[in-house]
Amino acid sequence: MTLFSKIEVKDKDLSSCLQGFFVSLLASDKIDALLIPRQLPHKAVVMPALIYNPDDLAQADPLSPAFPLNAARMASRLTKKSSGEKLGLVLRPCEIRAFIELIKLRQGSLEDVVIIGLDCLGAYTNRDYAKFAETEGSTRRFYEQVLGGCSGPVDRYELAGACTVCEHPVPENYGVDHATEVLVEAATSKGEALVQGLNLSKASEPASRKKAIDGLVSDRTAKRDKMMEETSALTSSFEKLSQYLSRCVNCYNCRVACPVCYCKECVFVTDVFDHDPYQYLQWARKKGKIKMPVDTDFFHLTRMAHIGLTCVGCGQCSNACPNDIPLMELFRTSAHGAQKAFDYEAGRRVDEPIPLSVFEKDEYPEVVGIKGAS
Amino acid sequence: MKKKIGTAMVVGAGISGIRSALDLAEFGYRVTLVDKAPGIGGILSQLDYQFPTDGCGMCKMLPLVNRDESSQTCLRRGLFHENINILSGVQLKGIQGEPGNFKVTLEKPASAIDPALCLGCGECAAVCPVEVPDSFNLGMGLRKAVYLPVPHMIPNAYTIDFKHCNRCNACVTACPAGAIRLPEEKRKQFHILIVDDELIVRDSLKEWLLDEGFSVDMADSGRAALDLLSQKPFHLMLTDIKMPGMDGVELLTRAKELFPTLPIVMMTAYATVETAVEALKTGAGDYLLKPFDPRTFIPKILEIYQAMDMVEEQELEVNALVLATGADYFDPSKSKNTFGYGIYPDMVTSREFERLISGSGPTHGELLRRSDAKPVQRIAWFQCVGSRDFQTNSDFCSSVCCMHAVKEARLVKEKLGPQVETVIFYMDMRAFGKSYHAYQTEADQRYGIRFERSRVHTVIENKETGGLDVFYADHEGIRHGEQFDMIVLSIGQRPGSDMESLARMAGLTLNEWGFAASLPFSTSLSGKEGVFLGGSISGLKDISDSVIQAGSASLCASRFIHSKGGGLSPEPDAPTRFRDVTRELPKALVMVCTCGQAVLEKSEEAGLKKDLMKDPVVGEVIFLDRICTEKGWAGLTALVSGASENRLLIGACLPCTQPLKIRALAQLSNLHPGLVGGVDIRSFQERTFDVSALKDTLKMGIALLRRVDPPSDHFVPSIRKLLVVGGGIAGMTAALAVADHGFEVDLVEQQPCLGGNLIWLQRTIEGHDVRVFCQDTLARIEKHPLVHVHPRSEVTGSFGSAGCFLTTLRDTETDLSQTLEHGAVILATGGKEAETSAYGHGENPNTVTQKELEQRLSDGTLTPDRLESVVMIQCVESREASQKNYCSRICCISALKNALHLKELNPDLAIYIFYRDIMAYGFFEHYYTLARKKDIIFIQYDPDHPPRITPSGESICVVGMEPVLGLPLEITADLVVLSTGVVPMLPKSLAGCFGAETDASGFFREAEYKWRPVDSLKEGVFACGLCHSPRSITEAVASAEACAQRALRIIGNARIKAASVTAQVHHSLCSLCERCIEACPYGARSLDTDLMQIVVDAVMCQGCGSCAAVCPNSASVLAGFKDQQVFDAIDAIL
Repeated sequence: MTLFSKIEVKDKDLSSCLQGFFVSLLASDKIDALLIPRQLPHKAVVMPALIYNPDDLAQADPLSPAFPLNAARMASRLTKKSSGEKLGLVLRPCEIRAFIELIKLRQGSLEDVVIIGLDCLGAYTNRDYAKFAETEGSTRRFYEQVLGGCSGPVDRYELAGACTVCEHPVPENYGVDHATEVLVEAATSKGEALVQGLNLSKASEPASRKKAIDGLVSDRTAKRDKMMEETSALTSSFEKLSQYLSRCVNCYNCRVACPVCYCKECVFVTDVFDHDPYQYLQWARKKGKIKMPVDTDFFHLTRMAHIGLTCVGCGQCSNACPNDIPLMELFRTSAHGAQKAFDYEAGRRVDEPIPLSVFEKDEYPEVVGIKGAS
Repeated sequence: MKKKIGTAMVVGAGISGIRSALDLAEFGYRVTLVDKAPGIGGILSQLDYQFPTDGCGMCKMLPLVNRDESSQTCLRRGLFHENINILSGVQLKGIQGEPGNFKVTLEKPASAIDPALCLGCGECAAVCPVEVPDSFNLGMGLRKAVYLPVPHMIPNAYTIDFKHCNRCNACVTACPAGAIRLPEEKRKQFHILIVDDELIVRDSLKEWLLDEGFSVDMADSGRAALDLLSQKPFHLMLTDIKMPGMDGVELLTRAKELFPTLPIVMMTAYATVETAVEALKTGAGDYLLKPFDPRTFIPKILEIYQAMDMVEEQELEVNALVLATGADYFDPSKSKNTFGYGIYPDMVTSREFERLISGSGPTHGELLRRSDAKPVQRIAWFQCVGSRDFQTNSDFCSSVCCMHAVKEARLVKEKLGPQVETVIFYMDMRAFGKSYHAYQTEADQRYGIRFERSRVHTVIENKETGGLDVFYADHEGIRHGEQFDMIVLSIGQRPGSDMESLARMAGLTLNEWGFAASLPFSTSLSGKEGVFLGGSISGLKDISDSVIQAGSASLCASRFIHSKGGGLSPEPDAPTRFRDVTRELPKALVMVCTCGQAVLEKSEEAGLKKDLMKDPVVGEVIFLDRICTEKGWAGLTALVSGASENRLLIGACLPCTQPLKIRALAQLSNLHPGLVGGVDIRSFQERTFDVSALKDTLKMGIALLRRVDPPSDHFVPSIRKLLVVGGGIAGMTAALAVADHGFEVDLVEQQPCLGGNLIWLQRTIEGHDVRVFCQDTLARIEKHPLVHVHPRSEVTGSFGSAGCFLTTLRDTETDLSQTLEHGAVILATGGKEAETSAYGHGENPNTVTQKELEQRLSDGTLTPDRLESVVMIQCVESREASQKNYCSRICCISALKNALHLKELNPDLAIYIFYRDIMAYGFFEHYYTLARKKDIIFIQYDPDHPPRITPSGESICVVGMEPVLGLPLEITADLVVLSTGVVPMLPKSLAGCFGAETDASGFFREAEYKWRPVDSLKEGVFACGLCHSPRSITEAVASAEACAQRALRIIGNARIKAASVTAQVHHSLCSLCERCIEACPYGARSLDTDLMQIVVDAVMCQGCGSCAAVCPNSASVLAGFKDQQVFDAIDAIL
């Protein structure tokens, strides 16, 4: 049922072509406001913005390799309850997938919402992007080179780790696309209704596109598997894991950055972990010494348990870590195993329940030790 | 609120007894639960797996509201409830007094081990040199003479089997608690008189008895014996029968005149056995057969001694009695056809098989050939051993054995693997319970269990290969032989061994086979006022039926007590007001019982105290000695009464940390029981001695207390009114049952008049008049001031939860609506005979249903004398995967009833019944036999080849296979009667508006089939009658009474107390992801859309903690198990 249309691109300027498309969306009565990455007046900063006035789309920059945060969290804030207005959310695939998980966790909704996904060309870490964007025209330089087939660094800068092993570069089931003309794919009935109102010319999906994507995905999957193998080896025992996480200072930036860490307040900052001084001394007395701050490993293990099934691998944890702990690698590896165990994939479908919210009478008898128990 | 408290005694602590006791206790009565067995659980204490869920789940019977009043742990291990006093190992000796004021005498045999002192450590059994067959494992495996009668009870006290004890004293020395005292002195005071004219007999008996420690005198004649008897008191006389001069019988007569209470045992040679048996009638207690052998003689004497050596006799006054003493089992070794049981070791009974496959059994659950310990590859079950059998005088069905065998076979497949072959030899597969047909089908199709419709005629041991050769004939008469490694005899029911004496004491009527009989249309009214029947006392039942019947029995008992003014006991004391410690910092008083330095030596006390005192929460550590003794407990009492600390921790042996002790300490210290903790510091160091383990255990206890919040009692108000939906017999019964307790009931009926199916039913198979019963019930409803009938009305909506529902009714005539408030609801919307167009029904006037037959017989439109031949077809459009995939339970009985009735009206009438399995369960079997005696022909048919019909003029030609002849049969019938089964009339939407569900067949879905058979998962919503499951009128009444009992728990009190262990929500932390709502199995959580908060219904919450487990940031917490508490406890032992 997928409907393809196309938008003309003038002067190879993808950005302004897309801006035009978004202006037409806002001008239609189908969308009242758009959440979209936008250049701030300050130099080299791209942040999601909620745009009501079509004029303000002039600075929209959805193609830049900036990924300051996973905007699924912003999407959640905008859709948790009905705003009474119709929203368009321009998101990267990993943002969409995180948003899908948040919807299942009742932290967001698709009601009166159209998601507009872009084929993701990848992004830089926040530090790299700040330097990369110091030179004018960075966005155009980036997409021209990447779309031109350059798989190496642009201006010396490599994509963020998470992007190099990302096997979901295309917003499956939700979508817009590019070339000398931009292919617009309406993958849902909602999308179809929206696109049909824009009077775009019909198109079809070129065979080369699928081939290119398949190639990219298989390349990335291989990289991912290698990464996970290495990470598994590095964290195969509790001692090794502890060493892996040893630089952690309990700043909790990773969980603030994590799009699927949805708790209003993390349990680690509540009184549950606000130990009595007596407690610290008892530990020290018993074991001879304790590392301070305590509970660093416990924190990461807890997070692994909490988000194992919902982690979409966006890599914002690594992006946020001040001490460069390779968190994305660790969390992707453990989440991969957890999701595989339940034949689940975070963000795949909105109607696929999160495994832990489903009760199966006969499941993993070797773990629970009972068969057919009532 | 003050209320008068009634008292009841429940005799028999099997599941029925437990259910009745809990029911009465939950309603507020004081209950004494007695059992002659040493522990509770009855037959199920030896059964690990029960159909149809193949698990246990007995704990699901525990209270769901007012949980704090009861233990919340494994019910097979023990029970504790505020209002229940359990007396085990106790015999009922007499019932005197009037209904409403019974005086019950109980006797408890002497025990050489004081259960209050016994630690259950097992030192005694370790040193005991005597090994005897293990009675818990039905004689398979060995135990010591000092042993645990029920190995899994907690707390568990050892007991001595004096029949086998050689009084070596080793256990007395080994016992660390000094709990054992052998009754040497008492035996010396037990005087036995031996009367025999042969010196050699006298001398050898004297020697043996002296060895056992008794005092013995001898007399060589009857005259001499009488002289001795007049000189000093004797406790037992053993007399020979054949003696010169005065013979034994004369001596017996004379001695009984002079000393009526003296027990006399006759000694007899084989030639005079008949005289001895006669003597039993003139007062002899027993007889012993010569020649004597000390190995059999002594145990017999000890048995008599034990039976007489009653130390405790107590008399209790109770308002009502519930008898739930259960049934016994048939012993195949005593029958004419033993199948080799007792001779071939590989032939076991179904009960023995349960022990063999149990992890706590003699082989730890490993199933091996008992003859040579080789693996079991092929097992067979023989059904109807001691059931449905004239040879053994059992013209009844034992109701549960079919399902029991299917379960055992499934269990074998699950445990040993699908390669093990299982065959069940049966007559009819009586899977008549609600989900049993599906269970059996699954056994057949998924598990590959073979069902062989045949009775085995010969079993011979195969001497070469081991195992047993089995020979049987199939229904065509062809002989088959097969070999099995093990054969399980599905043994039938027998009345309890003391049924006759119980019947005499309680004034019960027994049926033809010795089971208790109940009044018509009731399972629990015994006919004697104030005495009620529960469970298998009136015939073996499955768990679900037992639980329902127990509920009916407790309801009837409760109604009786209520009618007598609530009882004779004084009004209870005002509830305790505990010290308010909410504004105090936690300070704990830690008390450690050193158990006579068995736990801790004096020198180590200071070190331990110093270490524990480092924890700022510990205010004081005090060491006590033997708090199990009177002196020790007094010391503890004094200490606790004056304690200024606001938390108490007692470290002692398991019996001293039981809930009852904790509550006693709480009372003494005036602290809420939630602030008093107990840790068992004794069990884990039975043999080894470890101070650091002791310290860790105490620290865990301290950790749990440190952060415990002072519990605040939370109450939910309850509206003391009931709503009953459906005015058939079940609905009316439930309404009356509750209204008779003084509560208002709204009874809603769709139709203009009440009565349901009872309007057209004429009589029961037993011949009881249904019309009279219906008229009586209608009259009672009409007269009852508290029952408000709403005819022509339907429920349009409802919301609320246990204690407070608001339901809207619409009058279908006036279209006016009204809203009713009620605390609970009972769904009794009924069911009806299924409609059909099979066999020309609806077109051919001579094809009718059983209902139509009954109606036409009563209105005279059918005259049986004009009929020559009638064919009945059972299971029409039933028990098929595609339609009504269940047994409707009542159709076979209805067919038998109508067939017998037709025969009565026209004895020359030929009646043929095509059936699949005749479900004449229980004592209905008798009517099946009767029908066959009256020449009603039964033809079994295969569901793949059901009988067919072709109309031929006025009559109908029925063609079906006759399996015995192996030929098709053509019957010309004037009338074809179809049994179409029962369909429920419970719309999903109606069930749904009360939060209940329906199952795949449209019947009410129970919270749990076995243990909570009339509850829905949502508390406060119950169902009975035909909308629950197919059942007879009597069974519908029982289910209605069980529902009423369940409802009374809720509306019986003006407010319902929430338990201390319930879930709470920290709203400031909650992200409203609602995972806790999905996780809550009790529907206790919901999102309040006005407040935008998750709310917990504290009464429905059962404290399982699922919500706390799914909540990622502990916004959901379980009181008493907060993260910090659990972390601290784990920390304490890491």
